[in-house]
Amino acid sequence: MASTIIETAGLTRSYGDICALKPLELSVPEGEWLSVMGHSGSGKSTLLNLVGGLDRPTAGVLKVGGEDLLGRDEDGLARFRREFVGIIFQQHHLVPYLTALENVMLAQYFHSVPDEAEARFALERVGLGHRLKNRPGELSGGEQQRVCIARAIINSPKLLLGDEPTGNLDHKSTTMVLELLRELRAEERFTIIMVTHNQEVAAWGDRTIYLDDGVLVREERKTG
Amino acid sequence: MQLVFKLIPQLIAWTVMVLLLLRGMPGRRGAVLISAVTGFSLGVAGYLLLSRLFPVTLPLGIIRSAVGGSFFLLWSVAVAALYRSTVRDFPLLRVERLVGTIYCAWGAPLLTGMVAGGIGASGLPRLDNSVLQLLAPLLLLLAGALLVLGARSAEQRLTSSLGVTPSAFLAALVALLLFSSSSSILLDLFAPLSMKVMKGTHDFVHQFMESILIPDHVFIRSAIWGYIGFLFGKEVGFWGGMVIWFTPALLIALAIRLEPLPSVAHIRQGAQRRRLLADAIRTKQYRLVIPALALVALAAAAYQSSFPNVEYWDPKPLAVTATPAGEIFIPRKGEVELEDGRLHKYLYKQGGKEVRFFVLLTPAGKLTVDLDACAICKPDGYGQSEGMVLCYYCKTLIPLDTVGKPGGCNPVPVPFTERGDGVHLDALTLVNSWSRTVQSTTSSKGGK
Amino acid sequence: MTRRRWLIHLVFRALAHRAGRTLLLLAVLAMASSLATALGIVSFSMGKRVAEEVRNYGANLVILPETARLDVGSGGLNFGVISEPAYLRQKEVEEALTKSALPGDRSSHLRGALRFRNSDLLVEGVNFGEIRRLFPWWQLRGRWPAANEAVMGSDLAARLRLKEGDMVELAGPKEPLRLRLSGIVSTGGEEDGLLFLELRSLQQALELEGELTQVRLLVTTEGESLTKRAAVLQRFLSKAKVTEVRQIARTSEGLLVKVKLLMALVTLVVLVSAGSSVTGTMSTTVLERSREIGLMKAMGGTRWELLRIFAAEAALLGLAGGVAGFFLGSGIAWFITKSVFTLSPEISPWFAGVSVGVSLFLALLGSLGPMIAVFRLDPVRSLRGE
Repeated sequence: MASTIIETAGLTRSYGDICALKPLELSVPEGEWLSVMGHSGSGKSTLLNLVGGLDRPTAGVLKVGGEDLLGRDEDGLARFRREFVGIIFQQHHLVPYLTALENVMLAQYFHSVPDEAEARFALERVGLGHRLKNRPGELSGGEQQRVCIARAIINSPKLLLGDEPTGNLDHKSTTMVLELLRELRAEERFTIIMVTHNQEVAAWGDRTIYLDDGVLVREERKTG
Repeated sequence: MQLVFKLIPQLIAWTVMVLLLLRGMPGRRGAVLISAVTGFSLGVAGYLLLSRLFPVTLPLGIIRSAVGGSFFLLWSVAVAALYRSTVRDFPLLRVERLVGTIYCAWGAPLLTGMVAGGIGASGLPRLDNSVLQLLAPLLLLLAGALLVLGARSAEQRLTSSLGVTPSAFLAALVALLLFSSSSSILLDLFAPLSMKVMKGTHDFVHQFMESILIPDHVFIRSAIWGYIGFLFGKEVGFWGGMVIWFTPALLIALAIRLEPLPSVAHIRQGAQRRRLLADAIRTKQYRLVIPALALVALAAAAYQSSFPNVEYWDPKPLAVTATPAGEIFIPRKGEVELEDGRLHKYLYKQGGKEVRFFVLLTPAGKLTVDLDACAICKPDGYGQSEGMVLCYYCKTLIPLDTVGKPGGCNPVPVPFTERGDGVHLDALTLVNSWSRTVQSTTSSKGGK
Repeated sequence: MTRRRWLIHLVFRALAHRAGRTLLLLAVLAMASSLATALGIVSFSMGKRVAEEVRNYGANLVILPETARLDVGSGGLNFGVISEPAYLRQKEVEEALTKSALPGDRSSHLRGALRFRNSDLLVEGVNFGEIRRLFPWWQLRGRWPAANEAVMGSDLAARLRLKEGDMVELAGPKEPLRLRLSGIVSTGGEEDGLLFLELRSLQQALELEGELTQVRLLVTTEGESLTKRAAVLQRFLSKAKVTEVRQIARTSEGLLVKVKLLMALVTLVVLVSAGSSVTGTMSTTVLERSREIGLMKAMGGTRWELLRIFAAEAALLGLAGGVAGFFLGSGIAWFITKSVFTLSPEISPWFAGVSVGVSLFLALLGSLGPMIAVFRLDPVRSLRGE
């Protein structure tokens, strides 16, 4: 458990004059559940996008899994994402015209080849074995988010990123989703980085960092 | 300048060949490069030497047989590859086991280079200027060597996933050799191939007819004759030639397609299993690139052979008439200069019949009058190139010295009398000779 | 499931999801390609028909003696020509024809007058073999004449109250000719007022051996214009004039060119407007689906893979539109050719290739801009909903 999966040094991202992320030093050990807190506009989503290879830093070093992401071009980043990262968004972002099963298979398609049996198994694992053929519109918020989780983990990523995954869910669904993530992490041993502004949700993690105006202001480690 | 343009396709083919050789034998770059350059130089030098010492047909014949032989080799390798892809435990072909050995790394580029060099040298023109005559081969050598280096750097830039199977490697090499040899009408193999196919079909059908269908028109409705007539057409030769031409490369592509994917059932993690499978599929797809390249090269060769990029002297036939006594007269000097060593075509019409013939001064200084048709082929006529006339139908070259002698694909000679003012022919003899010749070569429909 | 099959499945799902827009695009593509196909079929059929007509109308060139005046197609008796006789030397014409090597057929005519029942009768000497080849539409009651037989025009026969099998005795400068009428011909043209007999016997009767008044030529115009062909022939004829027959050939050629031009213009307009409407629709679609595209990119789809999905969508639409367009276009062509031009359409399966090609081209070209947008789309921004 000692190896680091994310290593940044002087990581900066600015949009024109606005600096969304001031030089940031961060190190995440493999297998950790890291919560990122902060107000909106504090740079937490920017951090998540950078780590997930969706965005490029303006300056600094960003090593994920030992590789410097700055060296990759846009398609290289896409290949990095499909091999290495699973992302869960706040809005569920499922393809509306595909069934739950097909949404999971879409991730398989971009990764390698679609495998229906495996996708079905993944949905059964998140407790949706009975809703395989339903479109996203026919699923509740919690169910949709569980489809997203199944899709995010289908390619066995090393890194699971959550951008307020429980932001739109009621309390019961939130707990269910977080429970699920914890169970899956225990089995698959991936690293979780979860952005949230909910203290309670953040408490599920091993460590919480607080960002304000693009600067890391505080760090809390779970005790006990 | 024109010379440069003529040689460009061959030089490109040579570059791709070197590229393939490098890709096909990784880890032996040095050997491949050195032997390729050596082979090319040997090919150029050998061609020039042989063409000086012996008639030009000898080195040309050697190149033709080398390329033809490689095509036969390709056929056997293709069949073997297909067989092996369906039957798992087929022992490796000896030829294929050679690929990857040090012998192959030296031998294959050497042989390829020799043939390619020979083809390149055959494309060099005869120049009067002795300095240029020396310079041209040297330039060719230089270009060949430089392109080898170019191919090396191109190969290093090529994506590493572009893999080559031994059979595909051979297919592409042979296809490229065929392509560059098709640039010269003297070396082209596709036209003779389709000719052979046509002749073969022709003979077969003839014998079939004679043994079974005597007496004529008894068993067979007239519509059937239409189909039988088709068998005698040029199309049969062309399409049959196409089939023989493309099949080996297609077989190799099919063999690659039929290769089984690796067994991945034992891998427990889904993503890893799928990744392996996807990579295997991708490798297979990349392996199909080389046979596809071979097919393109073969198609280009067939195209070049069918529409040769050579300019022929082929004047429009002049219409002539006969005197009431049935004599055709062509003046020695008049509208055309008869004795300028060039082909002069004439057209004589009588009733519904049109007879094409030509008058030519042979290098021996004698006038000859011949039909614009030979005793074998369809009367597509002749065109004149340097020192030769060419039968447009079968692409056979006939040296100017032998024009006027009957036989084979030579133009059928016509009796004539040469007087001081010009050439006199008997119209009736001309028409009869044409009818006889053309009847036997065009409409074989109806068996006998 | 293989990747390719999955891709097709995905495309079908996406198209079905936006059924209305898919149908609209299909309709536009089918319309455009059907019009192009229909116009192609119509102009092809017309071209074929015109070629046939040229053949049916017989001669398209006429060789006349230089001094003679003769209006082709103006029927009736024209004694003026005969009162100032001018002739063509048969041999000269034949030589010229051999030299110019014009492809085609010809018929030789000698017109003159003979006395019949104390009045002049307009007669024409022809070779009946040539006539049968060149003027296949001659309607003949009875049979073609043998030696010492003749054929009479139907108007003339009615006027003289003659029918086939009757004998006529014609007086000329030499001894009288006795001919049996083997048939009555009607063409609806000036032939109906003439008596036709064997060229050689008329030449003898009029003491005009080797002379002609007219040679009609049926020259095939493949590629070259008739005027050019006429000019070629004229070069070899010094004492005669080569004229184009102002009959159907020229007008229908002109008409065909005009129709083709019009069709090309219409096709162009249709293709441009259809192409721009495809672009518009596809742009809207891409705009609407930007979030989905961003999602696919976030999931690890490269720009090229996304492009492939959208190109496949466009290609599928193009293919379907093209197939529909072929059938629709054949229908339209059938309707047009039947109702407007009164000819039967030449529908060949090759036009399916044209139709599919046009439709594919339109669909892919039209979605070029939107596809560039797909290629460039930034996943982060589109997922944020910008």
